[in-house]
Amino acid sequence: MAEEKKKVRIDVGDGAAIPSKSDKGLFSAWLLSFFLAVGALLLLLFYPDPEVSDKYQEILVFLADGIVITFQVTLSSIAIAIVIGFFTGLGRLSKIWIINLIASTYVEVVRGIPLLVQLFYLYYAIGEFIKMPDMVAAIMAMSICYGAYMGEVFRAGIDSIDQGQTEAARSLGFNGAQTMMYVILPQAWRTILPPVGNEFIALLKDTSLVSILGVADLLRRGREYASTSFDYFQTYTLVAIIYLIITLILSKLVSKMEERLGQHDQR
Amino acid sequence: MINDNPIIKITNASKSFGELKALDNVSLEIAQGEKVVIIGPSGSGKSTLLRAINQLETIDSGQLIVDGHNVCDLDEDINAIRMELGMVFQSFNLFPHKSVLDNLTLAPRKLRKIPREEAESYAMELLAKVDIQEKAHQYPAQLSGGQKQRVAIARALAMNPKIMLFDEPTSALDPEMIGEVLDVMVKLAKEGMTMVVVTHEMGFAKEVADRVVFMDHGQILEVGTPIHFFENPEHPRLQKFMDQIL
Ligand SMILES: Nc1ncnc2c1ncn2[C@@H]1O[C@H](COP(=O)(O)OP(=O)(O)OP(=O)(O)O)[C@@H](O)[C@H]1O
Ligand SMILES: [Mg+2]
Repeated sequence: MAEEKKKVRIDVGDGAAIPSKSDKGLFSAWLLSFFLAVGALLLLLFYPDPEVSDKYQEILVFLADGIVITFQVTLSSIAIAIVIGFFTGLGRLSKIWIINLIASTYVEVVRGIPLLVQLFYLYYAIGEFIKMPDMVAAIMAMSICYGAYMGEVFRAGIDSIDQGQTEAARSLGFNGAQTMMYVILPQAWRTILPPVGNEFIALLKDTSLVSILGVADLLRRGREYASTSFDYFQTYTLVAIIYLIITLILSKLVSKMEERLGQHDQR
Repeated sequence: MINDNPIIKITNASKSFGELKALDNVSLEIAQGEKVVIIGPSGSGKSTLLRAINQLETIDSGQLIVDGHNVCDLDEDINAIRMELGMVFQSFNLFPHKSVLDNLTLAPRKLRKIPREEAESYAMELLAKVDIQEKAHQYPAQLSGGQKQRVAIARALAMNPKIMLFDEPTSALDPEMIGEVLDVMVKLAKEGMTMVVVTHEMGFAKEVADRVVFMDHGQILEVGTPIHFFENPEHPRLQKFMDQIL
C-alpha cells in the first residue's frame, strides 16, 4: 500500500560519522572529540605563556578570512549541486532513453575522476580556452562533482515514493511538474535531506582542495601564513582543529535534523 | 440504454505489453449518467481499459473520446480532461503527508484556483457525504482501509468530475469494511454520476449497474443488464466466470 512503503535510508558515506542517540559509542566519541577540539583550541589561544598564546591568536586572526571563503565555496557549491542533483536524479529516472543516458553518463564520468583532477582540469585545461576567476572555477568544479553524488540521492529519494502517488496526482489533473512539487518532493525530502547534510559536510572538507587553485580558503590562508613565518606546527594544528570543530558541529546538526524527521514519521 | 450522445466513446482500442494483448479491439460507448460495471478474470484487461480512459495508460491504436475530447490527440490538454475524470484506486493512494482535509483541497486549490476557505467548506461537505467529517484533521495513516477509501472517493469528487472511474475499490479491504464503501458508491450512483466501476461485487452491480461488461483476454465478450448476467449469461467463459464468483 502506498502509505506503507518502507522508509529508505540513503547512505552515501564519505561524510563525517553522524552521531545518533541510538548509537551510544559514536555519540560519546562525538562528545569526546568535540570537547578535546574545543579544549585544545581554548588552551592554545589562552596559554599561560603569552608568547605562545599571542602566536596562536595571531594565526587565528590571519585564518579568519579563510574560514569565510571556505563557507562561501561550500554554500555556493552545495546550492548549485542540489539543483544539478535534482535534475540528474530526474534524468536517471526518466523513461526517455536519451535523457536517461546523458544523466547516467554524467554520473559515471564524474564519479570516475578524482575531484582534484576535476579541479585541475577545469582550472588549467579548460582554463586555456576560457579564463575564469579562481573562485568561479572552484565552485564550478565542486558543484559538478557533488551534483553527480546528489543525483544519486535525489534518484533514490524520488524513487522511494510509490508510483500510486504519481498516478493519484496525475488523475486529479496535476501535470508532471506540479506532481513533483506538491506530491513527490514533499514526501521524498525526508529521505533526501539527511544524505544531503552528509554531502554538505563532505563537501566542506573537500573545499580544502581548492586551496591549490589559489582560492584563499582556510587551508590556503594557513599555507600562506606558514610559508612566511615557518610556524608549520602551530599553523596546521590550528587549521586542523578549526576544520574539526566545524564538521563536528555540522554533523551534530545533521543528526538533530534526522531525529526530527524521524519523529514526523510517527504521526 | 440509447447512446446517441455518449460521454465516453471507445472505438477499436488496442494495447499490447510486448507480446501480450491487454486490450484487443475494444469498443464501448457510455452515456451520460450511465453506470457500467466491468467484470472479468484477473489479467483480462479491466484496469488497462479503465486507465486508458484517463490516459494513465496510452493505447496503441483505436480512438477514445471523452466528453467530446479526443484524449489520444496530443494537442488536447490531457490535464484539463483528467480534471473531469475522478479516479479511485484499489490501493487508495491518499497523500500521506497531507491531512484528510488537505488531501481533498489540494487539487481544487492548485488547479481550479479555488480560495482555501471555499475549498475547505466544500471539502467538509464531501466528507460529511462520505460520513467521515470527524477525521478531517487526521492523517491517512490514522484511518482504517474503509475510511481511506471513502476519503479517496471524496478527494476525487472535490474536483467536481463529470465521470468517476473505480478500479476494484473494495478489493484491498477487510470484508467488514466493504459495505461502507459500497454504500457511498450507491449514494453517488443515485445522484446521477456517470460511473465506470471495475468490481466483482455483484450485489452492487445488481443494485446500480445499467450495464455489465464482461472482459476476457483483452476483449469484451458480453455486455448486458445485471439481470441478463445472472439469469442467462451466453458466453461459456462468462458462465464459468459467474459460477466462480457467485
Ligand atoms: N505496465 C505493464 N507492463 C506489462 N504488462 C502489463 C502492464 N500492465 C498490465 N499488464 C498486463 O496486461 C494484462 C492486463 O492487465 P490488467 O491490469 O488490465 O488486468 P485486470 O483485468 O485489471 O486484472 P486484475 O483483476 O488482476 O486487476 C495482464 O496480463 C497484465 O499482466
Ligand atoms: Mg486490475
